[in-house]
This record gives sequence, C-alpha cells and structure tokens, in this order.
Amino acid sequence: MFDVKRVPRDVRREIRHLKREGTRLALHVWRPEHPKAAIFYFHGLQSHAGWLWETGPRFAENDIAFYVLDRRGSGLSEGARDELADADTLLADYAAGVAEVRRAVGSAIPLGLFGHCLGGSFLAALMHDPEFDVPYDAVVFCSSWLGKLHATLSEEQRCALAADESDDPWNAGLASADFTADARFQRFIDEDPLAVRRLTRRSRSVLLNLERRYLDPSRSPLPEVASAFLSGHLDPIIDLNDAQRAFIQLTNGKGELTMLPTDRHYLLFTEARDRLINWTSAFVLLSGGDRVG
Amino acid sequence: MPNIGTTRAPVRTRTSPGETRWTTYWSTRRTAFATECGAARADLLADLADPNGAQARVLEDVVALGADSVHWRERGYDAVASAAPGAARTDAFRRLLPIMRYEDFIPLVERETLAKGGILSCSPVLRWLKTSGTTGSSKRVPYTQHWLTSYRIPAMQAMWGTYLTLHPEILDTPYATLDTQTVRDGTADFIEGVAYQAVSNRHPRLGGLDWNPPWYEAPWMGPDAPTSHEGRMYHRIRHLLGRPLQVITAINPSTLISLRDLLAEFGDRLVEDLRAGTFDGRPWNEPDADAADRLRLIVKDPDFALTDIWPTLRLYSCWLSASAGLYQRKLDKILPGVARLPFMSCGTEGVTTLPVDEATDAQPLAVGQAFFEFVPADVPLGERIAAGKPVRTLLFDEVKPGADYHLIMSQGNGLYRLWTGDLYRVHRVVDGVPWVSFTRRDGSFHSFTGEKLTEGQVTDALRCGFADLGLDMGLYLCGPQWAEPPHYVAVVETRLEDTHRADEISARVDAVLREINIEYGSKRDSCRLDSIRIHLVPRDAVGAYIENGRQHGNAAQYKYKPFQADAEFVAAFTGTQGDARV
Repeated sequence: MFDVKRVPRDVRREIRHLKREGTRLALHVWRPEHPKAAIFYFHGLQSHAGWLWETGPRFAENDIAFYVLDRRGSGLSEGARDELADADTLLADYAAGVAEVRRAVGSAIPLGLFGHCLGGSFLAALMHDPEFDVPYDAVVFCSSWLGKLHATLSEEQRCALAADESDDPWNAGLASADFTADARFQRFIDEDPLAVRRLTRRSRSVLLNLERRYLDPSRSPLPEVASAFLSGHLDPIIDLNDAQRAFIQLTNGKGELTMLPTDRHYLLFTEARDRLINWTSAFVLLSGGDRVG
Repeated sequence: MPNIGTTRAPVRTRTSPGETRWTTYWSTRRTAFATECGAARADLLADLADPNGAQARVLEDVVALGADSVHWRERGYDAVASAAPGAARTDAFRRLLPIMRYEDFIPLVERETLAKGGILSCSPVLRWLKTSGTTGSSKRVPYTQHWLTSYRIPAMQAMWGTYLTLHPEILDTPYATLDTQTVRDGTADFIEGVAYQAVSNRHPRLGGLDWNPPWYEAPWMGPDAPTSHEGRMYHRIRHLLGRPLQVITAINPSTLISLRDLLAEFGDRLVEDLRAGTFDGRPWNEPDADAADRLRLIVKDPDFALTDIWPTLRLYSCWLSASAGLYQRKLDKILPGVARLPFMSCGTEGVTTLPVDEATDAQPLAVGQAFFEFVPADVPLGERIAAGKPVRTLLFDEVKPGADYHLIMSQGNGLYRLWTGDLYRVHRVVDGVPWVSFTRRDGSFHSFTGEKLTEGQVTDALRCGFADLGLDMGLYLCGPQWAEPPHYVAVVETRLEDTHRADEISARVDAVLREINIEYGSKRDSCRLDSIRIHLVPRDAVGAYIENGRQHGNAAQYKYKPFQADAEFVAAFTGTQGDARV
C-alpha cells in the first residue's frame, strides 16, 4: 500500500555494468529491500549518477528503486568524453538499460521513466523508438526543453548543424549558479571531475537527430501512460513556455504540468528537492496498472 | 579544600527565555531514548552470550555488503559468497581477501568519492569521516548508511544503555547530563559534495535512525554554540551553571580537566554574567547577585572541584584505560566521590569494545560490531604486509589472556580486514568473550589524549622542522612527559654550534605536528597538550646513549627505538627531568 509515513530504510546501493559492444556502461541503483515501484532516470548533459547521492536514498525511502544509467562517455561509464555516440547507439544503450531494470524489478510493479533537462530529449526519442518495447507506466520530464534546437534554430541553421562533422568543441556555457543557489552544490558542480562541460560540434547533430525522432508528425502514437512535466516556477536555462508547449504537443494534451517553488534549473540541488521526490514517488507509485483509471 | 560553608550549595540560576523548546524536545525523546538504549544493550548482551553467532552474523553481513561491490567483483572476492555459510565462508574470506592498511584503500576511496557507494560496499556513502592519518593527510572513512544504522548508532545506544542501567539519573531532568562526546558543528569541508567531518560531529542528523539523545536540541550542544573549544565550553558552563547537573560525559579525560580549568579561567566572566543576567555580556536571563557571589567564592579557591560548582554530580565517564589512566589522579581531585564509567574503545574506523559494567581495566570485545582477527604483537605485521608475506590471523576465541595483539577488523562500511595499527591486550576471557583494552599504537609510544602520535609523524615533523631552519639532524629519542598539561619531549642530535636553538626548533616542530596530526593540533588549540620540547645535543650523543643501552642489554637483539615509554632518558643528556628545558 501507499505509505504516507517515511520509515528509515536500509538502502542498497549498487553499480552494475552493462556490456554494450565492448563498452562498459555503469547502471547505478539505490534500492529498498522491497520496492513498490522503480524509476529509470535519464541524466542531462553535464550531470551523471554521481549527482544523485542524496536523491537515490530518498527515493528508496519512499519504496522506489531508483536507477540511473551513466550515458556512454559520462560518469563512470566508458566511452569518449565530450562526445555523443550516434543516436541509434545511444537509444539502444538506454533500451538495454530500461530492459535490465524491468527484468530486475519484475513486471508486477510500476516503472517510471524520468528525464532531466537534456535527458528528457533522450527519453522522448526512446519512447518513439520502434525498437523500444519495454513496458513502462509513467513518464516525467523535469526541466526539459523538448525540441529546443528546432525551436531556436532556423531550418538553414539546422541543416548546417546536421552536416557538421567537426571535432571542434562546443561549450555548453552552463553556470552552476543557474542550477542551484546552494553554495555547496555550486562548488560541487564547478569542481566535479566527471562533469561533461562541452561537446564536439558533431555531437550536437546527434541531439538534432534525437529531436527529429519525437517531433516527426508521422511518429507512432505513444502508449497511454501517466505523463507529467515538472519545473521550477522560473528556470534560467530553458524557455519554460516553449518547453511546456512542446511537452503538451508530445503528449497530445494529456500530460500534466506542475511547478515547484524554485527559480533554479536543477531542482534536485534546491530546496524543492524533497517535494520533487515525493511528488514523483506518488505519481509513479499510483500509476500502477490496478490504479490507472 | 577550604570550607565555604553554606556557599557549597549549588550556584543556582534562573530560567532564561527560550528554554521551553528544547526541554519539550527532551521530554518527548526521554522515554524513547531510554527504550532504544535498553534494547541495544540487550542486543549487546545477547551477542556476548553467543559470540560465535555474533561473529558469524557480522561476517555474513560484511560479505553481503561486499560481494556485489565493484571492487569485490573486479578482484574476484565475490567468490566468498559462494562458499557455504559458516567455517567454509570464514576460511574463504580470510584466504581470498588480503589484510589491508588504510593506505591500500586510498585508490578505492578515491573512486568511492565519485560514486558515493557501490565501489567498496553496497550502501550509500552519506558522509566521509575525517581522522588523523599516518602519512601526513587526513583519512577518509566511508560513513555508509548501513554502517551508521546497523553498527555505529547501535554501539552508541548500547553504551548509553549500560550507563542508563547503572545510573538512571542521567535522564532525571533536562539538565542532568552534560554530554561532550558529541558536538553539532556545521562543516565547510566537502568531498565531491559529501560532507567530510569528525565522527563526533553529528550534525546534521542523517535520517531518522541517526544519533538522537534527548539533549540533541540543547543550546549548549546545537550548531549555534561556538565551534572553538573554549567558546563551546563557556556555552556549556553558562547554560548549566546552577542546574542540577548529575553526569558529565566525555571521550577524553582531558576534556573533563579542561572543563574545570576553563571554569577557573572564565570565573570572572561567569560571575559578571550571573550578576548581570547576561550571556557573554548580552542580556539573557534574570540577574542573580547571590549566585554570582557564591561562584566568586568557589573559583577564588585554586583547588576548587567540579563538585563545588555542581554538588549534585554523581557520575562521569571517559576513557580510563591505558595512557588515559594517567589522568586518574587529577580526575579524583576535580571529581571527588563521583562514580565513573568507561567510554567504549573505538576509533573513527570502528568500535572495538563496549562497556557493560563499571570495569575500567578492560571491556568485552564488541563481537557484534565487526569481524575481528588478531595477530600476536611480536609479529612485525607492518613489515609482513608491506612485503606481501602471508600472515596467519587468530579469531576471537583463539587469543590468550595476558597477551597483546595487533587488531584487524572488517567493518560493515567496506573497509575489510583493516589493520588498524592498534594493539590490544587481552585481560581475561569471560563466557568465551575476550575482555580487552587498547594499549598503544603499533610503532607509537603514546597518546595522552587521543592524538595517537606515531613514530612516523614525529620523524616527519622533526625532519621538516630541522630542514625549515637549515639545521642538521641526527638520531633522536622521544617520549611522553606527564605534566599539566602533558607534552612530548625529544632529544635530537645536531651540529654543536646549533644546540642553542632549542626553543626555535621546538616551536617549528610543534607547528608541523599540528598540521600532520589534526588531533594533536586540536588538543594543542584547547591547551590539553603543551608544545613538544626539544633538547638539542651534539652529534653522536644519542648514538653513544644507545650504545650504552646495548652493552647493558641483549646486544644481539638491541634495536634503536626512537620512541621511549617515558621521558627518563632526558636526564641522561641534561641531568634534569624531561620537563626542564636545556
């Protein structure tokens, strides 16, 4: 049943490895002894599972098994740094990760997919990937600007970007103060040796490719699952209005919008963290098959 | 002790504003705390009644935590989990996993700082514990959720369960107990975002199962109290002056002595605060001229005891064995007629013994806290480990009373088969459980007040200090000098023309020691240790002294040992006791 009282749990923390064509990917988990639901988290551009050391245990205390796959080239996963693999490879990695999680937690409990910032774009593309057939029960996009490149670049610019095969670095220009107002977390972000702060220009064309997969008007319809968009009431990094509009289009108007009390981008490093975790926990827990409808 | 007549009544104070919130908290926690501590003590006693079962359970837990960790899988240690539970698994554990020094764990700790769990053990790292290292930098001990909730906090609760069983007055009133074992300081030190602080700093609480005594919200304990030793002590005294204090608990006996010394030092300030109803000069409560007068009379006496300030005192607790026992005479003087209980034997790396009664010479091995192994003290364990040579260890039921042993422990935080560097003496075996006490650090000679100064640290500090001043350094001898406060004394060879620079080099070496041993630095800051004093002697003077010793002892086995058990050697060079300066 759904417990409203938070009971201290002995949280299991493991790092499993997925072998993907010779590359070892780190799949992180924070798991309670008897999970009632699971969440698979898609991290953003510069973050990785190492940013979630306080988030994972909190989800676990809510009876949620919390999984994060360090994207190829990010966190503890192998792969070229500052470089994105092609879209098919990335989506196949994620599909394998989600399948592994579904296998680990079984089919009896709900599985939620959670995309943060750029992770939301990976998530949306995976949801529309015809090869992806793992059942899931809920989707949360958090501070994600879906379709950002399509919204901010002209067709001519997008064509140029798609053709760009250069190794030249593109600096994301992210400032830790935009992520959080907490000095401890700002310092962590600034000094994190595993953070990805730039990409090759070629990699940006991968991001464009991902967007096309979920913005394509002829895309297949999505499963009817509970969907939500979460953000602070302000966000210094994304255009919230456009992000919400894109989400509504993606879900054909069936998703819900929720704002939490912060003006920073990385909600998990703000005072809104616990509300985000509790809200998401309830959203996913209650999305189980016998509760829908 | 002069007779101050009716002034021996406690110095009373009047209630200040703001007391209600924390005393209410105290009231709501009082019964639950007693219940939790009683249950933990019952668990401890059950473990001591079945030590084999307790050790087997701990090993199962260590294996369960480790087998799926990245490190165990990479090294193939996860094969231990395939061995049948019981003797076969114990054998596999001791055969497959090597004995480790802390420095052997450093590369793994580096990886764990990035992952925050999963590398060394399958539990989230909630905090990094800071403690003195032997190589110049502080250690980082992973404070995992599992270790916190299943080991460290139950150990605290079991010890307090013993205290409460023997002295229930601990919970008589919110003002009955002054607990200096624990502090609550904000930390500014983080490793990859995770707090890095001393184990005794229990702020903030890490979840609902973290340490939570009824006085957790007391103003003298909270994070608003000053962080300096003197400032925090003033806070404690001012808040508890005039209250019916019955129990003072500390880890180090030097803390209790410091409390009394600072009462004397702060006497005038305290008297003025009482008279004006202020707290460090700021308005706080009702003025109390009578209490101020009584306190003035008490602290005027140079030999006043803590029982003069608080006649209600019934109990104190702190480390009382090994070198800490040197403080006993002083403790008897400042706490006359007050009962005593020992603190557990522990380090940041884990708990070794837990008190179950008043015994001060030894305590039972805490068989439910770690999987323990022992190696006879005469085995040069450090050399063997460094050389990668096999070491045969003994289990807890194989040690002999009267013998000293190196301690190796596998804790539920991922630091498996850790050679602690501590030597323990087995005093007796009770119902199959060894009762042991910490005797000394391997390779070190002394720890007056928890600083655990090692030979390596002193050697490094001397070399560094001499080099900084451009002095030549030869052989040296170093030993502890008991005094108030105690200090270390060293005789060091140098060029004849530089032997007048003793004060200069003493100050320099003291400064280096403060840097490389944070406990030494902390105790120096709080005046619980005095500066190391160095006597400079001409070249070959120490060599000649050693040769003289060789001639009077077993020449074949005589070995230069820089560390001495005491400071008597100083007289051979100066004709004075070690305390005197050249």
